[in-house]
Amino acid sequence: MTPFSRRAVVAVAVAFLVAGCGGGGSGGGGSVGDGPAATGAPGTGASAAAGSSVSGPRPLARSVPVGLEIPALGVDTPVVRLGLAPDRTVEVPPITADDPAGWYRYSPTPGRPGPSVILGHVTVGAYGDGVFRQLARLRRDDGITVRLENGTAAEFAVTSVRTVAKADFPTEDVYGDTARPELRLITCGGPLEDGEYRDNVIVFAALRATTP
Amino acid sequence: MLRNVLSAAALACTAVLATAMPASADDPSPVPDTTAAPTDSGEQAAETGPSPVPSDRGATEATPAPAEEGDGVSVVPRGAPDTGDAPAAGQSGGDGLLIGGGAAAVLAAGGAAVFVVRRRASGA
Repeated sequence: MTPFSRRAVVAVAVAFLVAGCGGGGSGGGGSVGDGPAATGAPGTGASAAAGSSVSGPRPLARSVPVGLEIPALGVDTPVVRLGLAPDRTVEVPPITADDPAGWYRYSPTPGRPGPSVILGHVTVGAYGDGVFRQLARLRRDDGITVRLENGTAAEFAVTSVRTVAKADFPTEDVYGDTARPELRLITCGGPLEDGEYRDNVIVFAALRATTP
Repeated sequence: MLRNVLSAAALACTAVLATAMPASADDPSPVPDTTAAPTDSGEQAAETGPSPVPSDRGATEATPAPAEEGDGVSVVPRGAPDTGDAPAAGQSGGDGLLIGGGAAAVLAAGGAAVFVVRRRASGA
């Protein structure tokens, strides 16, 4: 083999290497690092807000939520309204880039007595992370502020974070009556099984302050 | 020499094809769930769920109105919410890398071919 034909072969080999790196990168980049398992962080406790007293800030007037802030997670998102799907499960926010959170409209408005329920996606398919991607990282006493349509705001403090199997969803804990204004943030978590998340991450919070 | 050039070109083409194959075998990018965007207006609009099957009108009418002044959850949903559309494993990014890899292979092969031809023309 002459020197330059050898060089040609070397050049082609380099081409192979470059192409191979591209292909290999694609295979690894799809699921490494941001897998759902990272979301399924263990909860910080099993008790909801049971330990807190009923006294606290005065409930706010009824007004639908329009915005949600979670400073600890860098979340600041609009809030849409959600109802029931035809199969009687709760509707979920749209799958979009910059997906919003959604307030379940058959629950009390934030700041009213009872559990106000807000849902958000952990991931939104091809769009990547959802608005509640890091929800499981919240810890007790972290603040959550909900802005209401009438200009007031309700500030909640996290009382517990739970990761539960969807098969054992704690319906009563989430939707059951409470004497004071509380908040539930719900998303998915845990490992993916057949393309679906196995668990739900539920944040329980109680009203800490209000802004008129 | 010509044989060398031709075999180099053939190898380059093989490289390009090898990198392009997985991309063409990939499924098209995932179709996002057609979850109905909840609307702020109207009771009926919120009842149009993510499923396109509009067969549950009865349930719509049977659904109580949202609690206006009453506290607590007026309608408890069934089951657990499905708040996670699984991430598309490497779909868009993977395609991009494949395309990049293929393009790099083409460039490298072209460079190699030019190099061989020029060397040959100069008689080295």
